Amino acid sequence: MLEALQYFSMAWVSPQLLALVALGTFLGIYVGAIPGLSVTMAVSILISFTFSWDINNALCLMVGVYMGGVYGGSRTAILLNIPGAPSAIATALDGFPMAQKGEAGRAIGLSTVMSVVGGFIGIFILAVAAPSISEFALTFQPRDYMMLGVMGIMLVGSLSGESLTKGIFAGALGILIGTVGLDPLTAEERFTFGAVELWNGINPVAVMIGMFGLSEALMQLHHLDKVALKQKLDRIIPAWADVRKYLPLGTQSSILGTIIGALPGTGGDIAALMAYDYARRTTKNPKVPFGEGAKEGLIAPESANNAAVGGAYIPMLTLGIPGDAVTAVFIGALFIHGLNPGPMLLTERPEMFWFTVGNLTLANIFVLIFGLTGIKLFSRIVECPKGILIPLIFVLSIVGAYAINNSVADIWWMLGFGVLGYFMKLYGYQVGPVILGVILSRLVDDNWRRAIISERGDIGEFFVNLFSSPLSVVLFSVVILILISQFPIWKVMLKKRRSDASRDA
Amino acid sequence: MKKTLIKTLAGITFAGLVVGNAMAEYPEKDLQGIIQWGPGGSTDTVMRSVTPHAEDVLGRDIIMTNKTGGVGAIATKYVNAMKADGYTLLMGAENPQMYKVLGLADIDYSDMIPINILARGTPIFVARNDAPFNTMKELVEYTKNHPDEIKTGSTGPGGLTSIMLAMLKAETNVEFTGVPYDGDGPALTALQGGAIDIMPAVLGAAIEHIKAGRMKVIGLVDTQANDLLPEVAPITEEFPSFNKYLPWGPFFGVFIKQGTPDEAVEKLVDAYTKAAEQPDFKALMDKRGFSIMNVSGDEAKQFLENYRSVSSWIVYDAGFAKHSPEEFGIKRPE
Repeated sequence: MLEALQYFSMAWVSPQLLALVALGTFLGIYVGAIPGLSVTMAVSILISFTFSWDINNALCLMVGVYMGGVYGGSRTAILLNIPGAPSAIATALDGFPMAQKGEAGRAIGLSTVMSVVGGFIGIFILAVAAPSISEFALTFQPRDYMMLGVMGIMLVGSLSGESLTKGIFAGALGILIGTVGLDPLTAEERFTFGAVELWNGINPVAVMIGMFGLSEALMQLHHLDKVALKQKLDRIIPAWADVRKYLPLGTQSSILGTIIGALPGTGGDIAALMAYDYARRTTKNPKVPFGEGAKEGLIAPESANNAAVGGAYIPMLTLGIPGDAVTAVFIGALFIHGLNPGPMLLTERPEMFWFTVGNLTLANIFVLIFGLTGIKLFSRIVECPKGILIPLIFVLSIVGAYAINNSVADIWWMLGFGVLGYFMKLYGYQVGPVILGVILSRLVDDNWRRAIISERGDIGEFFVNLFSSPLSVVLFSVVILILISQFPIWKVMLKKRRSDASRDA
Repeated sequence: MKKTLIKTLAGITFAGLVVGNAMAEYPEKDLQGIIQWGPGGSTDTVMRSVTPHAEDVLGRDIIMTNKTGGVGAIATKYVNAMKADGYTLLMGAENPQMYKVLGLADIDYSDMIPINILARGTPIFVARNDAPFNTMKELVEYTKNHPDEIKTGSTGPGGLTSIMLAMLKAETNVEFTGVPYDGDGPALTALQGGAIDIMPAVLGAAIEHIKAGRMKVIGLVDTQANDLLPEVAPITEEFPSFNKYLPWGPFFGVFIKQGTPDEAVEKLVDAYTKAAEQPDFKALMDKRGFSIMNVSGDEAKQFLENYRSVSSWIVYDAGFAKHSPEEFGIKRPE
């Protein structure tokens, strides 16, 4: 125990390591905030950059970048409606409306505090329950992943805005966009029209930047003469009473986020979307409706995506199985530095576990410090005259789209989807379901087919196996419950029954 | 330090814009390394651990960028679209050798200059711990009695697993149910969760799980025993007919466009040869179960040709090639 504490605090007591975690977190926040620059890319650049360093120094810097980066994505999501990373998509849904009402500072303050809360819960679960959670994560079969995806897709119901039909259309469009490219299962070309450039599909980040950022900038062109709202810059740091009020939701979202993060097939983006959905279903009477700046809609995804960081480390540190793309790069880094990341790591190098937990905790504290400074300055961005702000969004969107894969084609995709998103908004279609479809398309597509191939195409066998696994039964019941509870027929039937009963009497 | 990072970032941002002509004293500027696979994968790890040593010899930075897609074809085409001036390197794995027969691209490594074939991986068959067989022979017998019942992970046509399964099928005529995964990593995870029963994989990807007793090795697809798996007999003992395919396995190498000036090729060959001799790189490869090759020139070409010939004919005979290897003058292995 004493040893664990010693390794845990290694980076806390060494000025050099402490400075590296701080630097990493700071860099991470900005890498995360710039759309298109991903944490995965930043960490893999750091591998070459820190090649000759001592491993502890290298890890401190990279852990900082990871933690900071996941948080940083919320910054541009709130201020400009461009999520810095897919895990901040759900943040934009209520964060940006808050900024439009002059509450950008409060939104950033609240998201920072809840991110840190989420981060701590994720780290705590990693520290106390890593081995059992990773064994649990391994029991997820393809059909369970599929059902998780279906649950996510049902979020379309709450993202559709005025018309469910239009929402379903937008979601289906997203799923269609997600299927473009080489079929991941058979390598057959789908909707590629013979172009090699389309083999890898349409990058979801390009779709995201276009549909959220660019289309919003185009919408703003309609209100060029409207003077930007003065931002309220008092009470940026949320009151303790507020934090306490939202703590139950934040905790539940964090636990959800940690588990989704620990699953080898899902990461922070899906965790955040599912937490958002969860918040919408469980919050009975939000002060502000969801989609118009509900604090609950900001808290749930922000705590979930940072909790997913701790979650992603769970299978990585205990089994050498990456929980997401970034931890996959971390595994590579450990190899290069001469370690054997795998199920033996905990016995061969037990200090690595507590060292990492300590660094994550430290990085999380730095997120709080860096996150809460400079908010006033950032909030003023929203007050910028439209003539400056709109070109800024354009430039940021183009640079971001290019940075995804150093490819000019992604810029064209981004522009195309930006214009499409603009017309969709004009005609009352929401863009949220499109992104949702793009992100969840593969999760459902791949795993449904994997599941049915495993049963050799026998749907009866599929259900037999589904009902013999407690985990699958639970997931299946949740899917059915969500579906039934939303069905208008159900409500109509209930009503009819009541009126019939009264007539009989 | 921050300056170097900015430099690196700037370098990556402008990758592709960099064009150079004059060859006063090669290399007179930084080089670009295009990695075919994503961050964190085997190719990425190998390249990022050997290249810093090559940089020391060259005295220039090699800025590495991951350019994924089309099983590496996008990176391969990209490098071949650049000038043949020795400043853009392709860092890849074995996949391009199948492009022609699979109809993925009209170039493969025979159209490029190999700078160095760094290392070769050993293919193995692993099974979940409670599977009712322990050797390849037992697997084949079990599968004959229970056709289609065994679920194997696969990673798409033309990938390592598909070629290994095609070899096994050609020699023993067994049928499995193939469940596709994105790569051997996710498939090995699924194996531990019981979603699949067996998985053909590279030793390096599975070794830590094997050591921890989370899965068992049932076959070593090589002609001789491996130091990391002393108790596993090579597959040729049970199935001597495998001799005609082996030694065969995935590999990692650095390549450059045909037509690059000799001076540049020589310097690069020298740099990577010295880099691959570094003890820490050797130790890393050993640990991951890769055999160091460190070959260039004709020796590399011969190895590449053997891989292409064995693999192309296997997939052609198995029926999932789009073109006959004959169309490209690929000889059937003797």
